[in-house]
Amino acid sequence: MKDDLNIVGKRVVRSDSLAKVTGEARYTADLQFPNMLVAKVLRSPYPHARIAGIDVSGALKVPGVKAAISGFDSYGVKWGVFRYTQDHAMLHTDKVRYIGEDIAAVAAVDEETAIEALSHIKVDYEPLPAVYDPIESMEDGAPQIHDQYKNNINVHIHIDVGEVDKAMEKAFLVREDTFKAAGEAYAMMEPYAVVASYKNGYLDLYMPNAGPHVRAKALSNMLKLPLNRVRIRHINSGGAFGGRSEVAPGDLVASLLAIKSGRPVKLVLSREENAKSSRQVHDIIATIKTGMKKDGTILAKDYKVIYDGGAYSSTGPIATSIPFYVYEECYRFPNVRYNGYRVFTNKGIRGMYGCHGRAFLAGNEAQMDVMAKELGLDPMDVRLKNGLRPGEVTATKSKITSCGLKETILAAAEKTNFKKRWAKPSKLKGVGMGCVAIMCGFPMGFRSGSSCYVKINDDGQVTLVTGLVDNGQGNESMVIQVASEVLGVPMKDINLVCADTEVTNLDPGAYSQAAAFVGANAVRVACENARKQVVSIAAEKLGVKEADIGLKDGSAYSMKDPDKKMPISWVVREAFFRGEPIVATGSFFPNIDFEREWVTRPWGQMAGTFSFGTSVAEIDIDAETGRITIPRFTSAHDCGRAINPMAVEGQMEGSIQQAGVAAITEGNLWDKGHLLNPDLLEYKVPLACDMPDMDTIIISSRDPAGPFGAKEGGLTVRMNAYSAVACALTNATGELFTELPLTPDKVMKILERKKGVK
Amino acid sequence: MKTTKVSFQINNENVTLEVRPYETLLETLRERLVLTGAKEACGMGACGACTVIVNGIPLRSCLVLTPEVEGADITTIEGLRENGNLHPLQEAFMEKGAVQCGFCTSGMIMTAKALLDRNKKPTKKEIVRTISSNICRCTGYKKIVEAVEEAARKTM
Repeated sequence: MKDDLNIVGKRVVRSDSLAKVTGEARYTADLQFPNMLVAKVLRSPYPHARIAGIDVSGALKVPGVKAAISGFDSYGVKWGVFRYTQDHAMLHTDKVRYIGEDIAAVAAVDEETAIEALSHIKVDYEPLPAVYDPIESMEDGAPQIHDQYKNNINVHIHIDVGEVDKAMEKAFLVREDTFKAAGEAYAMMEPYAVVASYKNGYLDLYMPNAGPHVRAKALSNMLKLPLNRVRIRHINSGGAFGGRSEVAPGDLVASLLAIKSGRPVKLVLSREENAKSSRQVHDIIATIKTGMKKDGTILAKDYKVIYDGGAYSSTGPIATSIPFYVYEECYRFPNVRYNGYRVFTNKGIRGMYGCHGRAFLAGNEAQMDVMAKELGLDPMDVRLKNGLRPGEVTATKSKITSCGLKETILAAAEKTNFKKRWAKPSKLKGVGMGCVAIMCGFPMGFRSGSSCYVKINDDGQVTLVTGLVDNGQGNESMVIQVASEVLGVPMKDINLVCADTEVTNLDPGAYSQAAAFVGANAVRVACENARKQVVSIAAEKLGVKEADIGLKDGSAYSMKDPDKKMPISWVVREAFFRGEPIVATGSFFPNIDFEREWVTRPWGQMAGTFSFGTSVAEIDIDAETGRITIPRFTSAHDCGRAINPMAVEGQMEGSIQQAGVAAITEGNLWDKGHLLNPDLLEYKVPLACDMPDMDTIIISSRDPAGPFGAKEGGLTVRMNAYSAVACALTNATGELFTELPLTPDKVMKILERKKGVK
Repeated sequence: MKTTKVSFQINNENVTLEVRPYETLLETLRERLVLTGAKEACGMGACGACTVIVNGIPLRSCLVLTPEVEGADITTIEGLRENGNLHPLQEAFMEKGAVQCGFCTSGMIMTAKALLDRNKKPTKKEIVRTISSNICRCTGYKKIVEAVEEAARKTM
């Protein structure tokens, strides 16, 4: 495809990387302010207990302690993403619901003093029976974790399209299987940290977060402060992966301590605290029934999926829905029924994860392969047959616009010689394919859109102001690149002010894959509006038509006679003279059906567009130990257009690690309410030596509404890489997996099962 | 509080400090010397985000007590520039897209520098093996390996 772009589509050096390679980039724990105090949190040792009393007065007597708080110092306002999920006060005074829950906190002059002071806080607990298994939790008579949720069912998502039962009867082949997966740890490299200070009635906060505006709103509610008095500031974020979307207990703790002490307060969680008490990933049990025609056409799907939701609602309705949607956005389901239950247990808070839903997604894909085999069909052909195409509508009425699903399937298959290898797997070597689609943004009410303010300064340099958030994926650099393209100003001359609630406007944040499609689109529109102003003055000054003006390298020039040119800085100065400086705004609001509601009305347009992707894993199994190795991994992703191909590849490669290799190594281990592997020695994040050779293929479907055709940049791999591994296991052994991760013990069971059949 | 005196060279400067006897080098760097490039991500030597070079050896500064480095020559990420120029590893990490969230980057670069200092022509396998001491959650390591290879080529 012909490309007349100068910067967009190029492998540019990310704007944030200089500060990061020199160690100058500041993260929350790096901040130091005069008179800053150190905070420590007292955490529940019980999975479930009534609180008879909390007395922090002893802590206040320790020299050097400047403030001590518990939930009794807060308003007890309960947070929830939705009105009907408001159940988390962050610091509860009546009950604790998981081991590690925040109870009370102190701020002191140094860490030792703070730790000592915690031992002087008295909490009277009355232990209650607890429940850890979501199936047991749903039974009558199970310990009730919240009074208002019967049988501990937090959310029930019920979707019913077509006539599932009739279609199952008509199907040539019907199969039902149950798949389990342990929740993973986000394991973002930066443990959660927060710095809060309160001066002149304004609360300033720094913390790694995926959405400062929604966080400020939550804190304003909980602290009963006007929204403008809560200012979340920009700071680098050491990874989020979905785990930093919501307000965290530490946000409230640090705020209360700062307000009480009148001094800046820093709270930094340890790795173990981060794993136990920030956010965890749902454990999932997915029962999947599929009816297929003889030719491989999917006639019906019937799902029952149970999500172990831990102690609080968090993003409950969304988390209970997303695995289903990313699958129905990929394949055609004429009849489908989905019953998703999110169930409370006495475990940590569970939120959304970039790789969320692996039991469900890998289960679907592996089962599809077993059915294809039984029908004598090739799994790639079955995926092509059932895959959605441009212009089609999903089961729950989302229209697909740009769609490169077919191209990703064909590209990944060709690169790996998939068909031949799948048909004839050699002994304990297998190849597997996983597909998925991802919504680029989802309904978040008036926060679903983004806007940007741009000004061009008298030196020709540009300042962009946007609510956009970067958690490490490169969003900041991406919008600078987009602005550079539109304004013809080098990236180094563009300054970005972002994710600061005092100055930036609302933005969806970095947690619904909306940054490129929505955030960068707003930047593009704002810059186009500024460009028009520049072009108008330059045309007048250079004596050429506006249509003939080009902007490049900081100059405006005549495209017909390139000798006629002037620096953009001169244009800007002229604009100042006229009292009309070059300033512009631009917004983008995606085409979403806002009548849509996760529980009560689960249909309508989900997002402005969707990305598509296919991964192929090649695995070897050691017959003696059950250990899987992954020599090669191939992923193809339709991102519309790669604004920075190097960044998109980086997202895809990271996803192969975090979802693909993680499928054989990662999972939280529990003994009742105790998380057994909260640190990075016991929890196995893949290392360089664990990584396969990786091929990444970028497919460009050029989305009609995306900025320069762009959609999100790589999340499909995060939600299909484990499927590819699970399918490769099926190819190698002829057996379906039952539980992820595929650690050697589980693989040995599969190999024994296989022998037993013989 | 009881303190102990310790002197060492850091990024070509001599310092003498009074530290707590149980203070880790990471705490000294970050809190006393405001060299915050080294990060605490695990606090138990599992991840390498706090790696600095002590007498030519990459060490996890969260596992080293400051009194132990008496007389040592220490380099941190902040000391990598020479005459204001970036180290080839820093350039290569930028150019190859080896940086995402950046939290592991300092430690990763210091581990790679110690490798290149002792082995000017490492094979890809040696690079992979060496940086397997450090955890990166974002990149899948491919571009990090490419960056180290590129820096090795450039420093030849």
